[in-house]
Order: sequence, then C-alpha cells, then structure tokens
Amino acid sequence: MRFGPRKVAPIVLLALLGFTISAQLALGKKKDRQGSATQMNDQKRALHALNRLTFGPRPGDVQRVTAMGVDQWIDQQLHPERINDSALDARLTPFRTLNMDTRELVENFPPPQLIKAVEQGKQRLPSDPTKRAVYEDQMDRLQERQERKQEAANADPGGADAAQGKVTDAERAQRRERRREADRRLEQLLDLPPERRMQQVLKMSPEERRALSAALSLRVDQRDAFLEGMNPQQRETLMALNNPQQVVTSELMQGKLLRAIYSDRQLEEVMTDFWFNHFNVFIGKAADRYLIPSYERDVIRPHALGKFEDLLVATAQSPAMLFYLDNWLSVGPNSDVANGILNRRKHAPKDAPIKQAKGKRSGLNENYGRELMELHTLGVNGGYTQKDVTEVARVFTGWTLKRPKQGTGFTFEARMHEPGDKIVLDHRIKSNGEKEGREVLHILAHHPSTARFVCTKLAMRFVSDTPPPPLVDRMAHTFLKKDGDIREVLKTMLQSPEFWSTDAYRAKVKTPLEFVVSAVRASGAEVSDAMPLARQLETMGMPLYGMQPPTGYSMKASAWVNSAALLGRMNFALALTTGKLRGVETSPEGVLGGNGAPNDSMQTLAELEDRLLAGDVSKQTHDTIAAQMDDPKISQRRLDDPARPPNLGAVAGLILGSPEFQRR
Amino acid sequence: MSITRRVFLRNSALAVVGTTAIPAFLTRAASGTEAMGIKGKRLVVIFQRGAADGLNIVVPHAEPAYYAMRPSINIPRKAVLDLDGFFGLHPSMSAFLPLWRQQHLAIVHATGSPDPTRSHFDAQDFMESGTPGVKATDDGWLNRALRSVPSSKDKAAFRAIALGPSLPRILSGSEPAVALNNISDFGVGGRNPNATPIANTFEAMYAQSVDSVLHGTGQETFEAVRMLKSADPSKYSPAPGADYPRGRFGDSLKQLAQLIKANLGVQVAFADIGGWDHHVNEGSTQGQIANILGEFSQSLAAFWTDLGDLGEDTVVVTMSEFGRTARENGNRGTDHGHANVMFVLGGPVKGGKVYGKWPGLDQAQLYEGRDLAVTTDFRRVVGEAVYRHLGNRNLEQVFPGFENRPETFLKLLG
Repeated sequence: MRFGPRKVAPIVLLALLGFTISAQLALGKKKDRQGSATQMNDQKRALHALNRLTFGPRPGDVQRVTAMGVDQWIDQQLHPERINDSALDARLTPFRTLNMDTRELVENFPPPQLIKAVEQGKQRLPSDPTKRAVYEDQMDRLQERQERKQEAANADPGGADAAQGKVTDAERAQRRERRREADRRLEQLLDLPPERRMQQVLKMSPEERRALSAALSLRVDQRDAFLEGMNPQQRETLMALNNPQQVVTSELMQGKLLRAIYSDRQLEEVMTDFWFNHFNVFIGKAADRYLIPSYERDVIRPHALGKFEDLLVATAQSPAMLFYLDNWLSVGPNSDVANGILNRRKHAPKDAPIKQAKGKRSGLNENYGRELMELHTLGVNGGYTQKDVTEVARVFTGWTLKRPKQGTGFTFEARMHEPGDKIVLDHRIKSNGEKEGREVLHILAHHPSTARFVCTKLAMRFVSDTPPPPLVDRMAHTFLKKDGDIREVLKTMLQSPEFWSTDAYRAKVKTPLEFVVSAVRASGAEVSDAMPLARQLETMGMPLYGMQPPTGYSMKASAWVNSAALLGRMNFALALTTGKLRGVETSPEGVLGGNGAPNDSMQTLAELEDRLLAGDVSKQTHDTIAAQMDDPKISQRRLDDPARPPNLGAVAGLILGSPEFQRR
Repeated sequence: MSITRRVFLRNSALAVVGTTAIPAFLTRAASGTEAMGIKGKRLVVIFQRGAADGLNIVVPHAEPAYYAMRPSINIPRKAVLDLDGFFGLHPSMSAFLPLWRQQHLAIVHATGSPDPTRSHFDAQDFMESGTPGVKATDDGWLNRALRSVPSSKDKAAFRAIALGPSLPRILSGSEPAVALNNISDFGVGGRNPNATPIANTFEAMYAQSVDSVLHGTGQETFEAVRMLKSADPSKYSPAPGADYPRGRFGDSLKQLAQLIKANLGVQVAFADIGGWDHHVNEGSTQGQIANILGEFSQSLAAFWTDLGDLGEDTVVVTMSEFGRTARENGNRGTDHGHANVMFVLGGPVKGGKVYGKWPGLDQAQLYEGRDLAVTTDFRRVVGEAVYRHLGNRNLEQVFPGFENRPETFLKLLG
C-alpha cells in the first residue's frame, strides 16, 4: 500500500511551495548535512509522519522510518496488533492496578466511602491480613479526623486556639519522642530482608504504621532503601497504607505516560489519547477515579482504530461516562419509579439505583443527552434542537449503574425508563426499552453531521488548527461510506496532499502533554518514576485525566501558547536535560547516543540539533545557541580544566525549549 | 483621596525624568503610569469554588423561615453583624464592616446563574465561560471582556493575570493572559543566578524567531519577566494594616497587590478560594464556615487596605457556582442549591447597600421547593463592571445571547 499521492508529487511540492521555509530552515544547517534535495525531502517526510503519528521522534527514528519506507511504517502503525510491544508490557508489569477490574480496585484500594461503611458496620473488614491492614489504617485516620472535628466543634471561643493547631510544650515533647521512636523502628526494619520487613509492618498497630510512614515521607533516600527488594504488590501495599486512592491515580497516570513515551504502537496511543479527550471524563468527579482505568483500557483503546459506532456504544454503556454525565440518575417522568411503583419485583435489592435516584432526583437528566449530540457526535451546529435533547434524554432513561462506587457495571433498569415512543431528529423511535438507545446511537453514528464533526477534529489533531475543508469533505465521505471505520478515515487523510503539504509541516503547536512526552522521547531519558512528569503537566495546566468540563482539552495553539506556559516549557526542558527531575534520568551521553561529547563545540551543537530536532533547526536558533556555546555558564566548561568535555545539559535544554521544538 | 495620589504620581514621574541613574524600564513604567495607573481600570474576580452557603454569609435575619429551616446551623439574630435591619453579615466577617460603612462594599443577594444544574463542575464552567447552558464555548468571559478594551501601547504583559498554577477557564481565550503561581518562580531557572545567560539565550532565540505565534508570545513573556524583575514586586511589602491571613488565598491576594502596586498594567485579575462544600457539620457562628469566612473576608479586607489609593480604580467582584439548600440536611450541613450572594468592592462602588430583589424563603417562594431563587443573573452584575468600569461597550460579545442593556444594570457603580 502507498501513502501520499505518488512519491514524486510531495517532493515537487516541497521543492516549489516550500522554498522559503526550507531555505530558512536549511540555512541553519551545516553544509555537509544538506545533502541532495531528494534525500532531504525524504527525511522531512519521515520527520513529519513521526511528528504527527507519534508522541515525537526518538533519536534515530527518522533514519529508521526512512530506511523502512514512510508508507510501510504508516501501514504498520495503522495495525498496532502487528507490532511487538513487549518492552512496554515489561515496564507496565509492576502496575497491577492497570489490569484490575473496578471491583478489585475498590476492594484493594478502598475509597473513603467504603472505609466509612466498614466503620459503621455496613461492610465487613476483609480477612486477608494485607487488605485488612490497609482498611485498619484508613479507619484509624478517619477516626482521628472525626475526633479532631468534634473537638473543633465543641471548642468554646477561648479554647479555639487549641483546636486550631496551637500546640502545648508537652504535646511537642511527646511528638518529638514519637518521631524518635519511629526513626529507631525504621532503622531496625531496614536491617531486615524485604520479606520479613513487610511482615513486621503488617504486624504493627495502625498507629505505629502511621508513625513509620510519616518518618519515611521525610526521608526520600530511606524510602527507596525501604522499598528495595520488595515486589510490586508489597510496594503498592505500603503506598496504600498511607493513601489507597493514590495507588490507583498514580499507576493510572504513570501507565499513560509510560505508554506515550515507550510504546512502539505510537499511533494507537495517540488515538487513545484523542478519543479519551473526545469522550472526556474527569478523574476528580467522585467514583470516576476508580472507573477510569477500565474506561481507558476496555472502552477506548480497543476501539481506537475501529468502528466509530462500537466506540460510541461502548462509551454510552461505560460506568465512567454514565457516572460522569449523570445519566445513571436520570429517571423517566412517567416511569414506574417516578410513579412510586418501587417494588414490582418481590425482592428488590437494598440500595438499588432506584432508591438513590429517587432521593437525589426524580426526573429527567439531560446532561448526557446533550453532550452525546453536542460533543460526541453531531457537534453543536449539527442540526439538533432542545426538543431532540429532551427526547434523547427520555430514550436513555434506565441506562444506569447499580452501585457505581463499588464498581458494578452497566445495567438497563426498565422501571426507570420512560414509556412511549420518542421522536429524535425526525425519526420515530418505537417504545422498545433498552433497544431505543441502541437505535439512537446507530442513527447518530451514521449521521452526516457526525462524520463532519469527527473528521474535523481528527484533521485538527493531525493536520492543522484550521483544516482545509476539501480534506474534511473527503474524510467525511470515507467515514460515511466505510461505516465509520476510523482506520479508513485516517488512511484517506494520510493519502491526501493536504497532509503532506508544506503548509502542514510543523504547523501544530504541541500541547503540554505532547511537549513533555516528546522532550522525554527526544532526550532518550530513562523514566523510573513518571509522577514528576505528571506533576509538571499539572503546573502546565494540563493535568492528566484532569479536564473537568466534558469538552476535553483544546488541540489548538491558542489554548497553549501563553507566557507562563512558555516559561514552564523552558524550565521543564532545562530540568529534564540537566537531571533535575527525580525519577527521570538523562545524561549527555544518552542525549548524544553514547557517542560522548565531541571536543569541537560546533560539532557538538550540530550533533545535538541532529538528535533532538532531526537536524531541522532554524538559522536563528542555531546562531543564537552557537554564539553562546563558549560561555562557560552554558557549556559549563571548567575553566581550570579545559580538557574536560563540556556539560551539554544546558545546551540540550536550550534546543528543547526552542521555538522549533514547541511545534510538531 | 484621588488628589493626593495624582499629585504623588505626577511628582514621582517628574522626579524620574532627568535622572540618568534610573534604569530605562522604570522611566517607562513611570510614564506608563499616566496612561495605565490613572486611566487604567482594574477588575478583580474572586471565585469561591465549591458553592458557598450565601444564606449563612449574608444572613436574612428578619426572615422567620430562615430560622425555621436551619434549626442547628442558623446564625442567631444577636450574633449577626446587622447591615440594614433585614440582612446581616456572618460574625466572622467583621473585617468587612469598615468597608461597608465607608460604602466601598456592596452586596447583591439572590444572584446566580439561570442554569438549573447543581453540578459543581458544570456550574463553575458556566460561570467562567459566561454562557450558562452552553458547553461548547471555549473561552472565558473575563478574557472576552478585554477584547475591545484598549491597553497601553507597549502591550502590557500583565494585562490579564490569574494567581494559580494554570490559566483558569474564565481567562482563557484570544487575549494574552498570564498564570502566575508564585512571583519568585516567574522566570527561567528560578533564583539560580547562573541561569541568566540561559534566559538571555532563550530570549534572543524567541526574539529572532520567524515563528510569528511563538515569537510574539516569547517577546511578551520575556518582557513580562524583565518587567517583573525590574519592578521587583517583592519590595512592595503589604501596607501598614494590611494583615493577610495565612493560606493560599491570602498569598494570592498579597501577590496580586504587589503586581498592581508595581504598576505592571494589570487590567483584569482572577483568584480563587476552595473549601465551601459543607455537606456535613457546616457550623454556624463557629466551625467550618466561620473559619473559611474569616480567611475570605480578612484576605479581601487586607487587599483593600494594601491597595490604598489604587483601590479607587479597582473593582473586586466575588462569585460562587451556586448557593446551598435553604434547609439544613440531616448532617447539619447543606446540599447543593441555587441562588447565592455576591460582594462588589471598590472605589467606584456605591456600597453600603444590599442590591437585588429578595425572593423570600417561604415554601412557595423557593426554587424547586428547596433553594433560594435567582432574581439577578450574575452576568447583570459583572456585565455592569465590564461595561461601566472597564469601559467595554460590547457586552453582546462578552456574554453572547444575554440581554444586558445598561438600563437593566443594578447601578452598583457610580
């Protein structure tokens, strides 16, 4: 299969249309790397494909893709199942939660509601000693919080100081003593082999364990020593004793970053990210923290390159979406539940959704019905009315969850469902229970507005912030003709002259996620802990799974180019390349591909430009850095030891913080 | 008040001229003062995230229904700081009383968004986008509010700022806006003195870039960094009597005051304070709500004191996504409700008055039988500030789809 209209065409286009740009870009290069026009354009084509279909090229990728042939490589990326990703799988093995279902997650890493339920005797304490320890510690914390609250509430105005944290000398001395005791305990434990160490921890009282984890949180190096030799489950347990929810969040975020950085199925990851953002849910909305791991793994990723309708149905029935957009609470105004006919079944389970729904809301919830059309399918101008929103909401009444916070899945509850026919987008939907929803999803998935809306977004991700209308037309045509086959739509796009046009080259400004991941990939960094990267994304305004509104993050430059963001990127680039990010290791040798630093500073710079920007650097950037190469503060060359090779961290940081690297 | 300030500024501007030892930046800033400091108006928006309980903040103490519906968490009549015989402030907000008496502080009650959602995130989203019920709006009203407002010629980098780690929805959009978490971190390489050549290299790189988008932002950025460095806002310690309480909100306002006093051309600013979602044990004169109201009111009062004469050109508006149920719930707390209260503080504010139509708390008057009804759309309040204070006449662009003619304003501003 071939991508791109015959191979000659883009080269001619590049040569003719792109003259100014390539001239500017080429000026910055050294003569010996200019090569013949054909080679350069081939390389540029490979670089462009890598920039758009992956989270950024790693050193050597351009050469590998060029050698393989760009079209072949694209074809491979379109079929991720053909790509061996075992290296990534090995990296993900320690994150056990990534393979757990929601129920297991909740049970192993209990949320506060579950702890409360156990404390009140509504749920039983697990018998497994490890789980038990996690529960007991959380109950201990809960009790302490309640006591403190009680104290604060009871305190008279004069005594308020005591409750608000003013500590007496006696208390201070007591705390000091407790800290010393915990330190002693820590030393003893460190002398034990890992297995025994863990056993001892589980034998401690919740109070002792809390003192221990406080001691560990103060000493980062001892924490590493403490975890040394422990298996993933033991490590997770130790973290869970302190904060069970954090295990779920941390492994989810690390998993996402490690996949983006190390997966060889790059297009699949890019598309998973795209669809997650399209069908956005928010980790901060109560139960969604526990629902997202399965949502991404079982709902989004398997359909990332499949049929749009399958993806749409999967999201519609996913606990994460039903919870996030409140559809699980939506009750038909004329349903049995609304009419107070609660116990048609003899043994209605206690705590059934009906009861909860009745307490909170007893009516229609239009939230999902609206977003389904506005954001998931037709688009805001896709030709639906408020009446359609209400009708669609009526259709989806009864699509609910039994106990979302405990991980039960989708269920259709007939007693919540609005009886009667509905009219959606001029179609009469015959009264037919759960199947009405399927019928509406089918109509929406095959609607021309949906084709146009989804293809516009895809073209915005892969081509430009303002994609050329004729390209969107052709993609939408494929979408409708091929039953919403996403892979086919991408092929149409990847075979278009618009995709390969010089207008599209480096036309996209990276989002913070794209920037951070591409910088880590380019620098060849070894990531042993991805959480510092996740925190960087938070400060850059793009926390992972942290977009509260259902619109998802913007893909446009306008959302991400601002002063604080730019400074954030420059500082991140420097921190990354000078080894200031804990858990992310880079070395000048790594950046230079193990070749060591050449002694000629200009040669070093050229080498770095080659590896970090595939050699495509502007004259302005090149000259600016070149002029500074001999500043000892930048090269960090030791004046007393000129023979020592320069530290290239700052130079690499300058390149990753350059205007060129902000684009893809 | 204004005379003293103008005289002072004119004198200081004169003093700068002809003093060669003073860096060029300061001369520019001082001459900019004439354009921005006097003519320049500032709008500061404060968001109380989590749905503050307006009925326990500005208490309708003359309403018997209020006491009937809140047996354990009401603010007793004798404890309320009475404002006008009907309403009174929560007792931990005594810091607001002087502002009220000086008529710099106005209150709008029973205000909010017309959208019926009781979801925190939807309601915040609507209040920040300024388009209740429309999710597809991708920018915020405070950003749009700047669109037709002229700025000084040298394109002040600090025109729109948010105190916090990222740019909030309310400020996102086409106008440049800066998110600033900590004044001392705003730069390349933090406080490391060795970072200067690196910062200079970055600056030169962006200054020469042919990439128009990044070139422009890069220039603004380094201008902002340089402005910040030269102006050194950290030297503006709080004015006497401006006692900011400890905590993130107080810190945010303290830094905001520093930026304003450093004359960096701030036109709109945003800060938020979380922790209002009191479903359980809300408390009354003591407890959770009392604590956070103390922090909230003391921070704002300190900010006002700190601004001194600059307060004359400043309007502060507070908002929260919705109010809370009129009745207390079974956990001595309140659940998500509808209408709320807004504070408007500033030089041009006609304060000392509670604005808006009080809908009442009788069963038949409650929204959906449970919440205080909205009688004033929040866009009416902020619309007036945008129109009359910032001078942006194009309200249809700021709040699309909302009828916001000047004759419908509450006339809060003089």
